[in-house]
Amino acid sequence: MSVVDFSDPATIAFLAAALQAAGVDGIEIIQPGRTLRIVTGRDAPGADPLVQILQSTSCAAKPDKVSAPMAGVFSSHHPASSAPPSQPPLKVAAGETLGFIGIGSILLPVKAVKPGVMTRRVAEDGSVVGYGDPLFEFEPRP
Amino acid sequence: MTSPMPQPTDRSSNALGTPARIASALQREVQISTIGARAFLLEAPGDFDLPAQRRIWALAHALRHWDNLSEIVPGMTNLLAILKTTPEDPDAVIARLRDAWQRAESIDIKGKTIEIGVHYGGEHAIDLAALCDRSGLTDREAVRIHHEGTYTVFALGSAPGFGYLHGLDPRIHMPRKTVPSLKMAKGCVTIGGMQTGVAMLTGPNGWNSIGFADLQMFDPTAAVPAIMAPGDTVRFLPERIEL
Amino acid sequence: MIEIVDTGPLNTIQDLGRPGYRDIGVTASGAMDPLALKIANLLVGNDQGAAAIEVQTFPFRLRLRETTVFAVTGGANAKIDGVVLPPWWTQTCDAGQVLELLPSPLAARAYVAFAGGVDVPIVMGSRSTSLRGAFGGIEGRALQKGDTLLLGEPIATVLPADGLGVVPPASALAEFFPVAADNTLLIRALPAGEHDLFGADGERFWSQSWKISSQSDRTGYRLSGEPVRPTAPVEMRSYGIVPGVVQVPPGGEPIVQMSDANTAGGYPKIAGVLDADLWRLGQARIGSRLRFVRSSHAEARTLDKVIAAYVEDVRNTAQMVGRALETMAGPKPAVRKGKNQ
Repeated sequence: MSVVDFSDPATIAFLAAALQAAGVDGIEIIQPGRTLRIVTGRDAPGADPLVQILQSTSCAAKPDKVSAPMAGVFSSHHPASSAPPSQPPLKVAAGETLGFIGIGSILLPVKAVKPGVMTRRVAEDGSVVGYGDPLFEFEPRP
Repeated sequence: MTSPMPQPTDRSSNALGTPARIASALQREVQISTIGARAFLLEAPGDFDLPAQRRIWALAHALRHWDNLSEIVPGMTNLLAILKTTPEDPDAVIARLRDAWQRAESIDIKGKTIEIGVHYGGEHAIDLAALCDRSGLTDREAVRIHHEGTYTVFALGSAPGFGYLHGLDPRIHMPRKTVPSLKMAKGCVTIGGMQTGVAMLTGPNGWNSIGFADLQMFDPTAAVPAIMAPGDTVRFLPERIEL
Repeated sequence: MIEIVDTGPLNTIQDLGRPGYRDIGVTASGAMDPLALKIANLLVGNDQGAAAIEVQTFPFRLRLRETTVFAVTGGANAKIDGVVLPPWWTQTCDAGQVLELLPSPLAARAYVAFAGGVDVPIVMGSRSTSLRGAFGGIEGRALQKGDTLLLGEPIATVLPADGLGVVPPASALAEFFPVAADNTLLIRALPAGEHDLFGADGERFWSQSWKISSQSDRTGYRLSGEPVRPTAPVEMRSYGIVPGVVQVPPGGEPIVQMSDANTAGGYPKIAGVLDADLWRLGQARIGSRLRFVRSSHAEARTLDKVIAAYVEDVRNTAQMVGRALETMAGPKPAVRKGKNQ
């Protein structure tokens, strides 16, 4: 059984190179028990990235948060949409897109995993968020 | 498929058929202009004749060795050179084209001879009567003059495989119609100004039809899709004359 | 395989066209918005020039007969089984699902690409439909209800389960592709051969705005506005033309030739649109307004580079994001679970 090992230097080097290629400053990968944090030097592209592996005892993201699928720039609405996003609380269906993470010209969707009510936007539009950062507060309602 | 767009090329062929007006547009020097940032149009000075066209063929031949060229499209005593990328120095491209034109020596392409059987008159010869009215010739004379001619393919364009044929006897020159036929059949043998040709597509057409040729002249799936090529000689054989 | 459930007229299969045959009278054809076609293809892992469906009349519906990765770019409001898809988006769909495209107020044409590309025979180097020549695409005709299309073999690509999109070029490159405050499209062009024969009208050509008339299609756009005329009649010998050439017929209202343009023309030409702005013209809707802006070769080169950089960014970042997500998620949920224990 193959396992992605985030303490593997090759994996870390690959992620760091990918981040630099995308012009992203850093990434944080939180797993139960430990966190991998890579910070690339945007001002000094040649420099080695800072890599931290943090052990922690706290649990993963709480179930009432919708978190960032990847590090990037958060947006609550699609850049081509002219209408301002609706304000919470918002009833949402499972799979509904709540916002986007921008990485270069690419947009990743942030979706509701289950039906419920999005009660609050935590992240600011245009802010840089890390992997797993909470973006929305969410109350599941079947 | 009929498009709502008019076909300017039909009109242009009319221009070719009015020598008096062309004369007013004669230039002494070669003209080079741009169409957008990547295409350069070179227009030969002087008459619309075979010597000028032979020099255009020579230029087209010379340009094949240029690296940055995507397409070379010879027209009627002119040539469009389409570059692969936008040039940094368009004046240098113009200078190079002018130089190539000055070096281009008239070449006589040893083309093939294409014989096209024609059914003159009949249902497709919708403009034969008008040609007789205009020329003062009888229909028999007009048809004879047309099939006795020897024509040179000047260039292909306007429709897939359509050859502009030069060498039409001035007695049967006839300007393009001001109101085009909306659905002229593919295969119609036509006169447009001082040129003749065979319609390649069924559709709107401003040329004057005097007969019909049942010859497949374009096959997109063939290794060489068009039967005609610049420099080829074309003769029309009267298979049937129905007057 | 996909099935066309519903289509308006004149929706066709297009790729980047068949340039190279103008000298035998063959129109290049190809997507009216080549940038949108390229992005749609890159999103599904295809070569940027693979064949896709160009939709310009709506509503358009297709059913997927198998699990398929597809992308929709350009102008359309797309839905999968009624669920709205963000603009310029790719995602995986299951067999039986229906993709519906409704018109967009922003842009005229949408492109639907599929992993593997639409597999129709290559004719003279291209799969593009030539309606006038009656070849290419499906037997040289527009799509019809009930048509089924085969897809090529998809190139293995990593796509996030939730799909992924791009920032549309009109937003991402807004600073380079301006629109006037009153929404008039600003189209960069260079003066063409007969420009100076128009005298004062030649200047007015640039200063006034033109409306795209209803007599506009893939062949070309007829513009309406106060006519411009040369100071004396101009007679032209038939010459080769390219999309973007702006010709002025005797009536004085210009025609811009587009993707299905004839290979030769005879009207005097007043201007030629930069290649870099043709995709925007291809998305301009009938009834909308545009103004021509006098440009330069230097600006054309800058814009060419801006577009190339955008395409490269999409190509590289889409792959990088897919790989990074895969790496972070682990190959399978079961594996991740194992890690936690």
